[in-house]
Amino acid sequence: MKKRLNIGALFAAALLLGSGPAAAEESFEGWLLNFQRTKEVKPVSNKRYQEECGSCHYAYPAGLLPAKSWEKLLTAEALKKHFGDNAELDAATLQSVRDYVLENSADKSWYKRSRKIARATAEGEAPLRITEVSYIKRVHRDIPEAKIKGNKNVKSLSYCDKCHMQADKGVFDDDTVRIPSQD
Amino acid sequence: MKGNTWFINMAASICMVAVHGVAFASDAALNFAAPSSSYYTGDIRSYVLASADSDTALGQSKLAASVAPAEFEPPLWTTSNAHKYLGLGTLAMVVATVLAPKPGECEKGPCPAVVDTSGPHKTFGQAAATLAAATAVSGFMFHWNDIHMEDGWTDPDNLHALLGTAGALLMMAAVNSAPAGGHAGEGMLGGIAMGAAIKITW
Repeated sequence: MKKRLNIGALFAAALLLGSGPAAAEESFEGWLLNFQRTKEVKPVSNKRYQEECGSCHYAYPAGLLPAKSWEKLLTAEALKKHFGDNAELDAATLQSVRDYVLENSADKSWYKRSRKIARATAEGEAPLRITEVSYIKRVHRDIPEAKIKGNKNVKSLSYCDKCHMQADKGVFDDDTVRIPSQD
Repeated sequence: MKGNTWFINMAASICMVAVHGVAFASDAALNFAAPSSSYYTGDIRSYVLASADSDTALGQSKLAASVAPAEFEPPLWTTSNAHKYLGLGTLAMVVATVLAPKPGECEKGPCPAVVDTSGPHKTFGQAAATLAAATAVSGFMFHWNDIHMEDGWTDPDNLHALLGTAGALLMMAAVNSAPAGGHAGEGMLGGIAMGAAIKITW
């Protein structure tokens, strides 16, 4: 009986340990002892990043690209020609935004989908676009072109939040996808 | 007692089948017109894609048109959720099996010479194995496209599938070999494998 109580107490202790707002993705121990869901991608948690990048396009969670990609994308020189636009930032803002995305990039994250992206981008050139990540290309390959490029309400896979209804929360699963009507 | 256990297991199996049916029915009723959708090709992946297609949903019901993105609420019953609940149910049954009094445990003498193996430990153990098998089957059915061997075994989804299947097999082996000695080890190992599988993709 005592043994059973001990097992129960251990189980309860594990639950208690995990119920706190543990740092889910900062270390293996933190991830292991944390019961918060880390199935998807860590949502954007940096106000400056959200404001600066989100003012022009969907603020992609940092965990959608590996650090080597962010390092290439977020330099003063690269931002002058940011996919055809000038997206220059002042030095302090750039440093702050860069530090945030590098700390939360796919290869530093314990979130499952980020781990998959990190594996898919571990070798080879750093992808500069989310849509160049082999894992992301693979999970979207069955969607007909007409539903994306041919859909004026979507236009491109890079507009994640057009179909992923909870993209702002870092959720990209099948259950939260609604492809907009073409009307 | 034996008949009672059989009845409980049958009832549990019927409930699980019903839950999967509800998951499918929920998807279909809300946003899926399988026969008319050109994107539905008969497999699970195309089913999910067709479910997410607003055009086909509008063809069936005007309800979808009034749902603005800001109001979006993910459906409660989906195939993914059914798999998740089955897995969590398995873990709960494993814990219940461990905590339930074992047949033959005798704290105060005199103890009986012949041990009756029926009881909550056996019932919970069988329920755990049944749920584990249902979890594994539903995982392969609904998440087949998440498993990609070219990503290696350390890919979270591949590892999840490997550990979950091993856990289910070990639990079934434990139930099969019980009450012989060693079945506890198989059952515990199965539970740990299943727990690890859940944690990896939680």
